[in-house]
Amino acid sequence: MKPDVWRVPLIVRGKIIEECTLEFPGAGRECRFLTPDASAHVERLAARPADMADLIGLRAVDVFDYLDGLSERLVIQRNPHMQHAYEMARHNSMLSDDMLREMYAKLPLLFRRDFVQHRTATLLGGDQLDRWVEPPRFPLARTCATMRAFGARTLHIVAGNTPVIGPITVLNNAITRGDAIIKSPSNDPLTTAAVARTMIEMAPSHPLTRHVTVAYWKGGDARVEHELYDPRRIEKIVAWGGLGSIRHVTGHLQPGIELITLDPKIGVAIIDASSLKDTAALLRVAAGLALDIGSMNQEACFNTRLVYVVGGGVPDDIALATRLAELTFENLQALPPALSTPHREFDPELKAELDALRLLDLGHEVIGGRHNEGALIVSHCRKPVDFAHRLACRVANVVPVRTLCEAQTALNNSVQTLCVYPESLKERLRDSAALHAVQRLVSVGGAMIDPFLATPQDGMELLRRMCKWTVEERPAGARASST
Amino acid sequence: MAVAERILTASATLADAHYDEAESLAPEQLTECQLACAQRRFSTLRGQVGVLDRLAASSGVRSVDNVADLARLLLPHTVFKSYPLHWIDDGRFDLMTRWIQGLTSLDLSAIDCTGLETIDDWISYIDLHSELRVIHTFGTSGKLSFIPRSRSEWRTGGRLVGACLRDWHGRGSGRDLIRHHLPLICPSYRLGAGAIQRGVSSAVELFAGGDDNCLFLYPQTRFSADVASLAGRLRTADLRGDPDSVVLTPSLRARRAEAVARERTRERDTAEFLEQVMRRYMHEDIYLLSVWPVLYDWATAARKLGSRGAFGRGSILHTGGGTKGRQFPPGWRQQIFDFLGVDRHYEFYAMSELIAGAPCCSVGNYHIPPATLPILLDSRTGAVLPRTGRARGRFAAFDLLAECSWGGVISGDEVTLAGWDDTCQCGRRGTYVEPDIRRFSAAEGGVDKISCSAANDAYERAVGFLAGSAESIL
Repeated sequence: MKPDVWRVPLIVRGKIIEECTLEFPGAGRECRFLTPDASAHVERLAARPADMADLIGLRAVDVFDYLDGLSERLVIQRNPHMQHAYEMARHNSMLSDDMLREMYAKLPLLFRRDFVQHRTATLLGGDQLDRWVEPPRFPLARTCATMRAFGARTLHIVAGNTPVIGPITVLNNAITRGDAIIKSPSNDPLTTAAVARTMIEMAPSHPLTRHVTVAYWKGGDARVEHELYDPRRIEKIVAWGGLGSIRHVTGHLQPGIELITLDPKIGVAIIDASSLKDTAALLRVAAGLALDIGSMNQEACFNTRLVYVVGGGVPDDIALATRLAELTFENLQALPPALSTPHREFDPELKAELDALRLLDLGHEVIGGRHNEGALIVSHCRKPVDFAHRLACRVANVVPVRTLCEAQTALNNSVQTLCVYPESLKERLRDSAALHAVQRLVSVGGAMIDPFLATPQDGMELLRRMCKWTVEERPAGARASST
Repeated sequence: MAVAERILTASATLADAHYDEAESLAPEQLTECQLACAQRRFSTLRGQVGVLDRLAASSGVRSVDNVADLARLLLPHTVFKSYPLHWIDDGRFDLMTRWIQGLTSLDLSAIDCTGLETIDDWISYIDLHSELRVIHTFGTSGKLSFIPRSRSEWRTGGRLVGACLRDWHGRGSGRDLIRHHLPLICPSYRLGAGAIQRGVSSAVELFAGGDDNCLFLYPQTRFSADVASLAGRLRTADLRGDPDSVVLTPSLRARRAEAVARERTRERDTAEFLEQVMRRYMHEDIYLLSVWPVLYDWATAARKLGSRGAFGRGSILHTGGGTKGRQFPPGWRQQIFDFLGVDRHYEFYAMSELIAGAPCCSVGNYHIPPATLPILLDSRTGAVLPRTGRARGRFAAFDLLAECSWGGVISGDEVTLAGWDDTCQCGRRGTYVEPDIRRFSAAEGGVDKISCSAANDAYERAVGFLAGSAESIL
C-alpha cells in the first residue's frame, strides 16, 4: 500500500506532533511527504542547559536497560511505525526492497544490551559518563583533577542513504547521554521518527526519550535555522554529507558551536597485478571486488569506485586488468538481491557519460552499462575517467597503472576504505595510506562495514567528541569532594 | 520555393526565407518535413561520421521514419567531452584530432597536430588547415566540450540570425543587416572559439561588412580556451586539496596572468570603451552585442551624467546571457533601453550544440526555430514525451542545419516545452520553451538528499559552489 503523500510526524522531546501542514519532495521518483511546520515549534526544539539535569542521574546500566527494551520493540514484525518507515523507504530509498528488508530486520540488534555494552566500552572506555573520575597525576603537577564526561546539546544533520544512520544517532545520543535534535534528510525522513515514536510508547517520561527531537525542515529554512544555530541553544553540530548539509550551517557558525563533519567518502582498491596470474586468485579478487563495488548498490561511503591494478613488470597488464573487470562485472550481475540489484534510479548523467565513452572514445572500454545493470570501465589510457566523481549505481573504473606510486595519487582524505590485494601489500601500504588520510584498510571483499565492529569512524572518535569533558581541579593534597 | 521544400533541404534555403514562414505549417506538418530532412542527413552522414555509425549500429535504427527513430539516434551531450582530459596536459593534440574526427564528416586525416601545446593553438591550427571551425564551451570543472561546425554552417547560422532580426517583429519590420550593414559594437573579445566569439565573427562579416566597421573592447585579444579550462581545473584541483596536480606550462602561466590582469582593469576599460563608442557613434544607428550586466553598468554611469537616448532609433540590441548572478533593481531593463534609445532587443535561447537559437518573444518564451526539431525527454527515464500540450523534461533536438556533423543531440537543460496545440500569448504559432530553463547539473541532488557517500552531487555541488563565487570571464 502506498499513500499518495507520506506523513512524517515531528517529535519534540517526548511529544508527537502530527498536524502536517507542509509538503516536501522525497528523493524517490514521485515520493512526497507531509510534515508539521518545524518553525512553529522552534522555541521548543532545543533544550536549555538546566533541562539536561535529568540526564546526570542516569547510569550506564540504566542506558543499557532502556536500549535493550527498545531493541525488543523495534522488531519490525510487531512495530507498525517501523513497518511504515520501511514502506516509505521502499518508495524513497535507492536501495532495493530486499536490502531494506535486511536492514530493518537487523536494526534492533544495534540496541541490544550486549552490543551496546561492547560499543560503549570499546569506543568510550571507563565510566566517566557515570561519575567524576580521577586521572593519574604526574608527580610534578601541583594540581589534582577529577573529570567527567557529559552529554552535549547537539544538532545532528544525518544522511539518509541508508536507514541505519538515524537510528545509530539515537543510539550514540543515548550512550553519551546527550540531547539530540535530529534533522532528518529527505531521502529518509521517517525511520528516525519511527524509532523515537517507539521510545515514547515504551517510556514516555524517561530522560532518554525526552532528549530526542526528530524534525524535518528544508535545509536552509531561515525560520528554523536562524533560531536554532545559536551557541545559546546548541553546543555541537554533527553534520553528515559534506557541503550539501553544511552549506546552510556555515552561515550561522560562530564560536561556541563545535562542528563535527562526517564528510562524504569513497572506497578505492589497489590490486597487485602480479598476484593475479594465478587463475584462482583472479577469480577470488573479481568476486571480492564485485561485493565491494556492488553491496548496498554502491550507495554507501565504503563502496569501491576506483580499482587500481598495479602492473609492475607484468606483461600485458592491460589485458589482465580487462579480464579482471570482465569477471568482476559477471560477479556483480550474480550478486544476491539482498546485497545488490540493478539500480532503481540510475543516474542519467552517468549513463550519458558511459554512452559517450562507448560512442566516441579512444582511451577506455566499457563493460556493461547498457541499461541500469552497472558497469566496469577499463582505462586503457592508464588514468581514471574524468567523471570519476560521478561513479555510482554500481559503476567502477579499473585503472591499470605501472607503479604503486601512481595508484597512491588517488589516496586522500576523501578515501574512507582502501581495499587491498594481496594481504602482504596491505601492511606495506598502511602507514603511507594513513599519511594520506585514508581511514580504513580492508582485504578485497571486505569493504562493507560491519555494524557490530566498534571502531573509529572516518578517522575520528565520534562518541568521545560528542561528549563534553569537564574538569574539576584542586591543589594537590586537598580532599576530593565526593564523587 | 514552398516552405516545406525549404525545410526539407534545410540549410541553404531556410536562411533565405521569411523567418516566420514555417508558422503557416501545423506542428505535425512541420515535424513531417523536419523528419524527412533528418532522414536525408542520416543517409548522407552514415559512413562519414563515426559516432553516428556506432549510434545507429547500437540502436538498430536503419532509417528515420518517425520521431521515435530519431530519438534513438540522439547524441548525449557528454559525447562532446568524451576525450581524456590528460591528453591536453600531455599535449596529445594528435589524439584530440583523431577524437574529434569521430564527430565530423570533414576529413582531418591530413592534419598533423603533433607538437602543439595548447588548446588555442590546436583550434587555430585546425582553422587554418580545414573547413572545420570548432566551438569550445566553458565547463565549470575545466573540461571543455568541443563541438564540430563547418565554416559554411557558421555562415548559414549568421544569415538565419539576420533573417530573424529583420522579421521577428513582423515581416520586414526590422533592418536587413545583411544588405544594410551597421557598425558593430561589442564590449568583449573579438577573437576566440567560444560560441559567442565564433558567432561574432560571422556578424562582423555579414552585418558590419568587416572589421573596419566594428569596435571591440579587446579587438586583438583572444578569449582563450586554455584560460577558461585552467580556471575550472584549478578550482576543481583546489577543491580536492591538490592544486599542484594542474600542469602549468610557462606559456599557459603567461596567458593566465594576462587574463587576470585584464580582469582587474575590466571595469575601468569597459567604462572607457563606452566613452569611445559615444564619441564615435553618438545618435547613430549601431548593432550592439552585449551581455546585460555591462549594459546595466553603462546605463547607470550614463544616468549620472544625465545621458539618454545615446544612439539612433534604428539601433539593434542583441543580448542575452542572464544577469550573471547580479541583482538589479526593478525597472533595470527600461533604464538600459532609455539610455541606449532603443525599445526593442533580441535575445535567444541558444546552445553550442545547435546552430539556430530560439528567439525570445514579448511574453518571455523562446520560440523554437523551424531549423530545429525539438524532442522532449522524461527527465529521469529519458523516454520520449508526447508531442502535445505542455510538459517539462530534458530538451533534445535535431538540428537541420548541421551538415558536417550529426544534428541529433540531448542537451543538459531541463525545460518546459509548449505550443504543440495552442499559440503563445505573443500570437506566434509553434513550439516554444518557457523561461524556467535550468541546467541538470545545477538541479541535481534535489533538496536535502544527504548521503555519506562522495559520489555524485556532493562534488558537483561543491564545484558549483566555488564556481558561483568566481567571476565569469565572458
